[in-house]
Amino acid sequence: MNHDQNHQKPKTPTITLRKFTLSDVDSFMSWAADPRVTRFQRRDPYSDPADALAYITTHILPHPWYRAICIDNTPVGSISIKPAPGEDRHRASIGYRLAYDYWGKGIATEALKLTIKAAFEELDDLERLEAIADVDNPASQRVLEKAGFKEEGILRKYVRLKGETRDMVMFSFLVSEF
Amino acid sequence: MDEEVTLRPCNLADVDDLYEYASDDKVSAWCRWDTYTNKEDLLNYMKTCMIPHPWMRVICYRGRPVGSISVTPYTGADRCRAELGYVLASQYWGKGIATKAVKLTMETVFKDLKDLERVEALVDVENFGSQKVLEKSGFTKDGVLRRFWINKGTVRDMILYSFISTDPLV
Repeated sequence: MNHDQNHQKPKTPTITLRKFTLSDVDSFMSWAADPRVTRFQRRDPYSDPADALAYITTHILPHPWYRAICIDNTPVGSISIKPAPGEDRHRASIGYRLAYDYWGKGIATEALKLTIKAAFEELDDLERLEAIADVDNPASQRVLEKAGFKEEGILRKYVRLKGETRDMVMFSFLVSEF
Repeated sequence: MDEEVTLRPCNLADVDDLYEYASDDKVSAWCRWDTYTNKEDLLNYMKTCMIPHPWMRVICYRGRPVGSISVTPYTGADRCRAELGYVLASQYWGKGIATKAVKLTMETVFKDLKDLERVEALVDVENFGSQKVLEKSGFTKDGVLRRFWINKGTVRDMILYSFISTDPLV
């Protein structure tokens, strides 16, 4: 036994990204039905797997870039890239969600790093990736910073979230930094 | 000078006056639209966009239209915010007219647009004239959004300014 193991930070498990399939609905519920995860999302937690299945079918499967964050091929979260509308195809925003039991292990940061690489390699003309995090969500802000995003400013009263107007922190990652 | 700047809704009879700046390269340089080359195109834009717009005003100087100003809300969860845009004939730049128009707008827009809590404006990092207009009107600089916006084929850094409903009018 290695005595040093007690003093080392737990290593981030190996994670992979892949497309979703309909059979991932139970895994999907492990984060999408959890109010701790949906706290900073616009949606309320899912209670009915049928609703989750409908969301996977109508939103995730046809999405231009939506991936399951997997450990041993089992989804523990998701990450997606949304290109900006209209003329600004050089710009895209990233969103991610992770099952609560997998927080604090560096998984989201690792998924973000893989996604940044995929985004700049796969999306033509992409120059800017951006993400916003609630001012009261320091965990997500840390994920973005650790993945190399730069904070650009605080956007006051930026978005309505569950009946409240929230201040958000804007982050970006440029192709020149890749 | 203050009393000489007024805002009013647009009507189609304004086309001749608006065409004066819409056909000016100096004015369109910072905007996404290309300089207008005929009044029919401008009339079409006025009919389809300016007149039905949720918040659009013509800026008048001594009663004559010399520009326009608009506040365009987002939808859904983003309906608490809206984007400010304004344009002014170049011969009227540097007189404080745009600043007065923005101040007049901020006095009423939060009452006019339901759910609105944040007005934001994006300004090119090199558009110093427009930056001054917003700073003098009480807007706060939120930050620089790098490589944010494509204008006429070039990717630009933009400064994001905001004015929220609880900010003081200046």
